[in-house]
Order: sequence, then C-alpha cells, then structure tokens
Amino acid sequence: MTTRQRTRVTVNGRVYEREVEPRVTLADFLRHDLHLGGTHVGCEHGICGVCTVLIDGLPARSCLTLAVQADGMEVTTIEGLRDPETGKLHPVQQAFVDAHGLQCGFCTPAFIMSTVELLRDNPDPDDEAIKEALGGNLCRCTGYETIIASVRLAARRLREQSGPA
Amino acid sequence: MKAASFDYHAPPTVESAIALLQRFEGEGLDTKLLAGGQSLMPMLNMRIARPQVLVDLGKIEALDYIRAEGEAIAIGSMASKRAAEDSPLLREQQPLFHAATLLIGHRQIRNRGTVGGSFAHADPAAEYPAVALVQDIRMRAQGPNGVREIAASDFFVTFMTTSLEATEILVEVRLPPFRPGTGWAIQEFAKRHGDLALAGIAVTLRKANGRCEDVRIGAFGVNATAVRLPAAEAALNGQSATTENFARAAAVAGESVAEPLGDVHATPDYRRQLVKVLTERCLAEAAARAA
Amino acid sequence: MAREFPRLPEELPTSAVRYVGKEVRRVEDPALVSGSAPFIDNLQLPGMLHCAILRSPHAHARVLKVDASAAEALEGVVAVLTPDDVKRWANAHVTSPPGWGTHCIAIDKVIYVGEPVAAVAATSRHVAEDAIELIDVDYEVLPAVASAPAAIAPDAPVLFEEHGTNVIQKRVYTWGEVDRVFREADHVVTASFRWNRCGANPTETFGCVCQWDLTDNSLVCHGSYQVPGFWGLARSFSLNLPANKVKVVSHPMGGGFGGKGGARGTDIAALLSRKAGGLPVKYIEDRMECLLAGGSQSWDRRYEASLALKADGTITGFDVKLLDDQGATTETYGTISVAKPLAAFTGNYRIEAARYDTTLVVTNRAPVAPYRGYGPPPHFLVLENLVDMAARKLALDPADIRRRNYIRPEQFPYTIPSGNEYDSGDYEAVLDKVLKLADYAALRKEQAAARAEGRLVGISVVNTVEPGVFDWNAYATVGVQGVGVPEGARVSFDVLGNITIVVGFNLQGQGQFTVAAQVAADYFGVDITSVKVTTAATDATPPHFGQGGSRVGVAITGAVLGACQKLEADFKRVVGHIMGGLPPDAIELMDGRLRVKANPAMGMTVAEVAGTMLGRSDLLPPGMEPNPTATSVWTAPGRNMPDEEGRCRSYLTAATATHVVMVEVDRGTGHTSILKYFIVDDCGTRLNPASVEGQLQGAVAQGVGAALLEEYVYDDGANPLVTTFVDYLMPSIHEVPITRRDHIVTPSPVTPLGAKGCGEGAMHTTPAAITCAINDALAPLGIEMTETPATAQRVWMRLKEVGAAR
Repeated sequence: MTTRQRTRVTVNGRVYEREVEPRVTLADFLRHDLHLGGTHVGCEHGICGVCTVLIDGLPARSCLTLAVQADGMEVTTIEGLRDPETGKLHPVQQAFVDAHGLQCGFCTPAFIMSTVELLRDNPDPDDEAIKEALGGNLCRCTGYETIIASVRLAARRLREQSGPA
Repeated sequence: MKAASFDYHAPPTVESAIALLQRFEGEGLDTKLLAGGQSLMPMLNMRIARPQVLVDLGKIEALDYIRAEGEAIAIGSMASKRAAEDSPLLREQQPLFHAATLLIGHRQIRNRGTVGGSFAHADPAAEYPAVALVQDIRMRAQGPNGVREIAASDFFVTFMTTSLEATEILVEVRLPPFRPGTGWAIQEFAKRHGDLALAGIAVTLRKANGRCEDVRIGAFGVNATAVRLPAAEAALNGQSATTENFARAAAVAGESVAEPLGDVHATPDYRRQLVKVLTERCLAEAAARAA
Repeated sequence: MAREFPRLPEELPTSAVRYVGKEVRRVEDPALVSGSAPFIDNLQLPGMLHCAILRSPHAHARVLKVDASAAEALEGVVAVLTPDDVKRWANAHVTSPPGWGTHCIAIDKVIYVGEPVAAVAATSRHVAEDAIELIDVDYEVLPAVASAPAAIAPDAPVLFEEHGTNVIQKRVYTWGEVDRVFREADHVVTASFRWNRCGANPTETFGCVCQWDLTDNSLVCHGSYQVPGFWGLARSFSLNLPANKVKVVSHPMGGGFGGKGGARGTDIAALLSRKAGGLPVKYIEDRMECLLAGGSQSWDRRYEASLALKADGTITGFDVKLLDDQGATTETYGTISVAKPLAAFTGNYRIEAARYDTTLVVTNRAPVAPYRGYGPPPHFLVLENLVDMAARKLALDPADIRRRNYIRPEQFPYTIPSGNEYDSGDYEAVLDKVLKLADYAALRKEQAAARAEGRLVGISVVNTVEPGVFDWNAYATVGVQGVGVPEGARVSFDVLGNITIVVGFNLQGQGQFTVAAQVAADYFGVDITSVKVTTAATDATPPHFGQGGSRVGVAITGAVLGACQKLEADFKRVVGHIMGGLPPDAIELMDGRLRVKANPAMGMTVAEVAGTMLGRSDLLPPGMEPNPTATSVWTAPGRNMPDEEGRCRSYLTAATATHVVMVEVDRGTGHTSILKYFIVDDCGTRLNPASVEGQLQGAVAQGVGAALLEEYVYDDGANPLVTTFVDYLMPSIHEVPITRRDHIVTPSPVTPLGAKGCGEGAMHTTPAAITCAINDALAPLGIEMTETPATAQRVWMRLKEVGAAR
C-alpha cells in the first residue's frame, strides 16, 4: 500500500483537505470522497470527455488527472454552477433545458462545463468555434444539433445579461 | 479500470526532481515522470503502465514558460499545449509549430497536456516530433551532470522511447528562428477530428526563382518514430513548384516510407497512400505560402 | 375491457390543448443539467463493497483450475466468487433458446475473450482490481471459431459440445410464390452484404448495487435497468429465487439503446453479496469491459439477397439469405433480433412474395446484444441498396423506382407478406416533401457538375418503415414465449390536487416522463408543473415492461389515459352525488372541471373533487372509497399468434421516413464527407415534437457511426482488437451532419392520440442512406461498397481495385 498524500483542493469555492491515495483520479475523488456525483465517468481513458470539470478555470478530463495533482488548485464542477441561494440554474444550464440540449443527460454536465469556459472567452462563438470547443465531448443521444443550439442560446442570453458592449 | 498502486512525489524544482530520480534509480524502483499525464494516465488506468513511483513535474513553476531568446523561442517543458495555442509569440513567429499544436487532441487535452510531455512521450502518431525533425528543434535535458542539448534527430529513438537518461528531465525545447518566406504546411488524416493521426505530414520549403529548395518533409504516424523523407525531399529540391512535381515527389514519399505500421485502422499500404496524398497536399499548401 | 381512447389530442377533455403535441420543456431536465440525477454509480449504501471481475484472456479454453487463495488473503477483500459457487447457486441464463445460455461466470470452459472467470468484492474498486490479478487460473486453450463461416465449416470446433454443432437455429420463412416471381422476373439483382459488428455504447456503462438478504433469502438489485420487472424475473430463474423475492430498483440511465447488458454483472454482484454475508455489492462495468463483453456488440451479419423486378421497375420478389453470428451465446434475445425484420420485411413496398433464409450460429466472439432498431437496420441496408442497384440497372431514378412500388395510402391497413399489418401512412407525400426540401433536381445538377470535374459525388433517396410498439407475439415468432409487454401507470391526486404518476421504468433519455405529464396535465386541465412523474421499485409498480421496441411513448400514453379515464369516472360519480344525486353521465369533464352538462356553471375542479374524496367521506356516494387513485395497464389491441410461417400482427405502428443524402468520396483517402442531409418523417402525432426531433437527429448520429466509423474487429483467433474508445470510434460533433428536417402527420388509427413508435427512427434509415449515397458516388466507376462501416480505407481499397484511386 502506498503513502497517502495530504491534498488540499478548492472545489466550487470550498476548501477540502483529505488524505488521498495517489492512484485515485480526480473524478473518483470528486464523486466518491466529496460526494459530488454530478461529474460522471464514461471511459476512464480520456476519450469521451464525460468527466470534464474546470481546473483553474480550464476544462480538463478529471479521469486523466490524479486527485493529488490537483493539490492547491481550484476545481469547478457542475454542482458549482447553480445559484446556491435560490437554486436558480446557471444560464448555460437553463439554455440546455430550453433548447433541449440533452436526452439521457449523462454527458450533459461535461458539455455544460466546456460551454461555460467557451463562452467566458468567446461570447459569440460561431458553429466552428463551438465544435472546436466541444469536439472532445462525446454525446450518444442528441446528434449534437440541440447542443449547438443550446450553446448559441446561452451565448445570446449571457450577452444580453451583460448588456450592450 | 483503476491504476495499480504507486508512490507520488511532486518536487518543486528541477534539481529536487533529479535528486528523486537518482534516489529511486538507486533503489531500483520503476519510476515515471508525470508531465500533465494526458497520455500516461490512460495507461495507468488500464494498468498497461505500472510504475512504482510517479514524479510529477507539475509543481515546477520554473519550467512553465514560452519566451523569445534572441531569435529563437524557448518553451519550458511544462508549458501547456493550451499556452502554446494561445501564445502570440508562437502564432506569429512559429506558424508550423502553432498549427501542429492545434491538431493535438481536444481542448481538454491541450489544457492539461504539456509541450515537454508530448516530446518525451514520443508517441509515433504525435505531431510535434515530425515538426521537430523538420525544423531542427533542439531538446534541453537536465541531469545530475548538468544540461545537455539533443538534436531532434537524436532524441526520438523508437515507440515511446527517447534518448533521455533515466535521471534526466527534458526541461526545454528550443525552436530555431522560422525564416521569413518559408512555406509550411501540416496535415494529418484521422478517422475522427482530433484523434491520433493514421498518418500525417509536416513540410517546410523555400522558393527561389520559382524553384523549390530546402524542402523538408516529416512524416508521423507511419513508423515507430516520426521520420524525414529524404528521397522525396530530393525529388523536389531544385525543381519548379508545379502540381506535377509535387505529385512526383509525393509518389516518392509514399514509396520511400520504410515498412509502414499496420494496425486495426490502417494497413501498411493504406498508410503509404496517406503519406503520398498528404505530402502532395502539403507541398501545394506550403508552396502557396512560400514567398 | 377495451377502452375507447381519444384518437387525437383534440379529443382530450379540454377546449385548448396546452401540452400534448406542443414543444414542451422536459420535466426530466433540471435534475440532469444540475448533475443531481441519481445515476447508479452515485448510490452509496452503508457497508457497500465493490466488485471487480476477472475475465478470460482466451477465446476458447477449458478452465482447469481457479485458485483464489492469494486474492482472498489480500487486505480489503471480503469475498471471491469462483466457478464452484456459481455451479452451486446459479443457473444458466434463460433468455436464449434452451441449451444455448451460459452462467454468469464460466463453468468448465470459457467461450469468448472477456467472459467472467471469477470475481472479487472488496472495500474499494481499486483493491478489488488488485485482487483479481492475484487469482490464478489454469487454462487449456482450445481452437477458436472466429467467424460465422468458420462456425459452419466442416470440422469446426464446437462451442456447445452437447449440441454437436454451432448452428443454433436454421429456419426458412417463405411468404408467397417466391420461386415463381423470380422465374417470371424480367430482371433480378443480387448482391452480398457484410454488416460488421457495431453497438450501443451508451455514455454510461451498466452498473448495479445488489444486496442479498440472507434471512429472508431475497434480493434487491439497484441498477441501470431498462426493463426492471423482466430483469427481476430473469434473476429469479438464474439465481433460484421466487420472482417476488427479487426487487429491482431502476435508476436513471445514461442512455441505453438496447445495449446495457447487465445479466452477468447483476448475478455476480448478487452472489458476491450472498457470499459476503449480505453486504451490498456495487458493480460498475468499466468502458473496457463494456467494449469487450458488455452489451454493446450487435449485428454481425452476412447477407446474400436478390430482388425480382418487372421491366417497368415493379418489384415482385425479395429473397434474403442471412448468416448471423450471435457470438458465444444467444442469451440477449439474438434469435428475436433476427426475426424482427418480419415486422417490416418488405419496407415501404408492395412486394408480392418474399423469403427469409436464416442461419444463426455461435462463434467465440463476444455475445451480441440488442441495439437501437434491433433487427431491421442491417436488413434495410440490404433492401435499399438492392433497390438502388435495380434502379441503376433499369436506368430509373432512385426516387422514381421507390415511388412506383410504394404501398398506397388507400391500401392501409396493409398486411405485408411476412404477416405484420401496417396501420397507416402516406409514403408518396413523405417522398414529395423531402425532394422539395432538398431541392432534389438542383442536387442532381450539382452532382453532374461535380462529376464533370472528376469528383465522386453521390446522392441517395432512401426510405424505411420503423415498426413501432412491439408486443409479445414478436417474440413468439421465434419460439420465445411468455414475454408480455404490459405498460402500467398509477395516477393519483393528493388532497390539494397535485398529481403523481408512478410508472415502472426510469429515465433513459427519450423524455417519456414528460409525455406522461403532458397527457395527464391536458386531461385534467392542470399546469404541467403540478404533475410529478416517478418510478417505483418492482414490488410497488403496476405491471410494466419498460423501454424497448419503440413503444413506451405510445404505451405510457395509453396507460396514463386509461388511469385518467378511470379517475374521471369516479370523479363524475362524486360530483353527481354532490350536485344533488345526478347520475354520472350527467356530469362531464372539461378544462379541469367536472361540470353539470345541463348547467355548466355548476361544477367542481378536479382538485376540489380529489380533496373532497380524501377529506370529506361524508360527501361521497355510498360505497365509494376515499381514493382518487387509478391504475391502468395498456397493451396493444388485436395481437395474434404467429402462424407456421411466423406471420402475425406483431408491431402495432408503422412510422416512415425518407432521407436524402449527398456525399463526396475523396479519391485520395477514400474518406466520405456528408455534404447535405435531409429528412422528412411521419410518425403520426408528435406527442412532444422536441423529443421526436431529438430522437431523429440522435439516431442519425448513431447511423453515421454504423455506416462510416464504428466496428468491433476480431483477429483470426477470435481475439478482439477493439477494446477502447481509442479504437471504437463513436461520432463526435465534427462527424455528425446537422440534418434539415420536416415531417408530415398521418395519425395512427389504432393508438391513443394517434402517435406511432419513433424512438429507433433514423437508425433504420441512415446506414442505408449513407451507403446508398456512397454507391451513387461510385456508380460511374462500376463499383459498390456493400460492407459496413464504409471506412475510408475500405473505400480506398475498392477505388484502388479499379484504378480509380488518386
């Protein structure tokens, strides 16, 4: 048995400090140690993108990151998007509901996390930019059409929210 | 699909990392460096790789840079591919390297994967090694005895194997100046966008009086390491930049690949064909860019 | 009692339909976008152990010894399951023809790579995986059967030695005078087709948490179960338990598509729990297990098929010979998958006679499992390509040859030669609409211009029929009896008038909870937000089946309507009584009020009635229970036993779609680019149009995968070469065309509200449409691609054969 490592990770603004076995992935750590089950696991070898979270603000596959690697980092998961006071959905989450950007919903948190980052840097992405940002997320249900529509809807609402440039 | 057990260290400096490597070598422990982990982690999860110790270079902030040094550009090995993608310096001064970066995986991979990790992992289907061969990129490795420079042609040995010693760390890749007026292109063929290439070609060439010179063609995904295709280069050097000549050189490229890989996705014959087609397309694209 | 259902949404008891047929935001979605939906791997129970399974590295071998002592000694290991335990405690799976099933763990012999050999329950998955590496197994490797042709070769090794053959079933169905129509034909087109294995691969793999109660000798299985009741029944057989002692709790599923194969995993986790003293055991299939031996391999088929035609293009006969590789066992209803094409054998066409010559074999490849569409997608690839080949031979446009063979609107209900009855349709209207949408003439001009430049551009016009709403007799066709498919709903009002609907299945992505809520909300004129839809465990739900066979949308509509009608009847009695002893038929339901027909101003809202029933027993008519709850179970009407040629009314509805696809093939790489994609479909009433559109586009994506990318490759020793997502290539956002779509609505005359099954949809059509377009592109070269997936390399090899590669 290997030495556990003291690991301090900020997740959705809250600091967690745990003794972690080095071989535990960030995905498993979030899901099973911190009980943040909204980050799903699809392949554990870095292809499907279902486990995407933001690490220091950038989308990353949490199955390809060890929990101990995230020591000192800030992680944002799907649970961190909704308004904690009112329960109101994040505009990107609401856009996925309104534009039917999901069916089974298993890959959806990952698509939403990738979208949040895309729209932070690019408030009005065209289809090519959307495809480039979401190319590492597989969806088996939707055929992607409504996902693209959801991203566009979210972008429009976020632009309106932030007022005219 | 969970990794076998290993010990983990995240040293803060190159020196402390090297000291750890020396120690574990002395103890006879199978040690692997973690430089982002986008290629290593799947192998760990599948238990294909089962090191006893992982030394994570992720906390060595001194290795995270992209900067101009004279006319060259130096990239610290722990700079992320995302940083390379977003670097105005690379975009403006190193268009081939920058274009190669954009072909690597997907955004999530580029965010966590590092430039040095890609070089040191030496996947035969990776883009950087071919660019390194074409552009004479030099690797800086640091070990117990200091720093040494390694030419790209000496760096990549075979599948997933470089000439780095067990106690050495790749600390920097240095891109020589990209001569203005040089035409370049990089294209690859994958079954899906963003997948590892079944074959890829990187080209640089110059034009003088309508003739091609200093033609360099690198192929990836077809042999155990990226390779230059000297016969094809020779077939075009000194020739005029015409479609016919590109096709002729491309045919030589396809024929000259020694024993292409065969796997579930592509037979050796098909890889030869891809080398030919991609070379022809790259030569045309590069010639169009050449001043 | 046969119920009279509203035939169309307009017949619901409301003056303005608010939900049914409208684009409705799904009630499922807020939890899913929040990451709070309880997928199975989110379940943690006290004391829960984690299972890992040791799998065979050999395709065919005798298991001589399994020594688990080192694993048992590892810290954290609680139980190890070995073949001896399974011999003692379990039976072979019964969902296969007798004698062709296997146990959850191999006994004596392994017959495919990935077959479970032993399993461990430990305190973590990591430790469980450490432990299985310590299990020592001795094998005696046997020669493997790597393919279907090899399985029927003389002297082939035999998997099931007691049978002495690898042929599970050989059956020839003959419908009409096939020999005569072929003899009298002016033209016969014949071709061979190869559909290589692909499969479902939902983003969530199968998972379960099983707990054996050693006192009560009963079992609870939580998991991603799409047909919970049936699954419980199957466990009772495999684990020697009374069926009412197996409780199945279905969790939301991250997709299914038919391919969540959980029989082995469930039985293994259950037996580990039994061996671990009743602690709960979680098994989450990982992706490599799913690819290797989960439920995600389907359709390993070789066809030889012919069409008989008259000189004018009238198709008179269709003759199909199928050699089907079921993999190592047939426990996942493979025989039924082969028979499902009977429900739509001749597609959209009037064809006089047909024959289906089927041979099903076992090989040492992984067992095949259901996948969206089940049997027909490969079958339609064959039929539609043959129609195109005939069109080329007769110099007819592909749209024209189809048009002249269509079943005509006035011919419905129409019985096809293989016995099923199509309920309704207007195929020509669908064709006309899609040709217009695509501007077909302009596409052909564009193609001509491209061809003049030497480009390989092709266009297809392909239509199929989607058999929807399967029933028990679809199984009975191939001798698998006793699989009924009731679908029940319990609708109840609380004292404040909120509605709860309990169904027997859980979320899988199709939006069926929303459909149930739409129907109830419109029926009782309430806001959809006051309707909650939920699932219950198998010991608390009405009879149910769950997702499968494009039927839940229709079936749950029938069940909810039935329950609403029962409640309405009770409510009328209550209101009549309160309004001075009026008979129930003096009361009517409209817009959420039970009102006196003669004086509509007098009445009560449904909430008032429900509140009165629960709160004021003094106001109820004599003998009425204070129970505003009703259960109804729907099943398709008019189903009959198959005759000796398998003919019966099996699938209730016949939806249709026509796809127009334009592709370009790269002469250099063989790569196919989809340039344009148009669809017009007709699935009757669109209960929630947004969900219907989602099913369509989603199935296009899977069709693109099957047609161009996805393939399980095996070597000559039956060793799988595709076991990761690096090699199994599901289409990404870059590979799926965004289709342009429209529809017509020909309501089903036989379903509640006129909806037809539509969940499998484009999977029937897309693989055929893409390959037909490729073949149109290749037509000037005189070559055809008749193998899926039409990968770039495969196409390039064909181009090279005729010197057309660049």
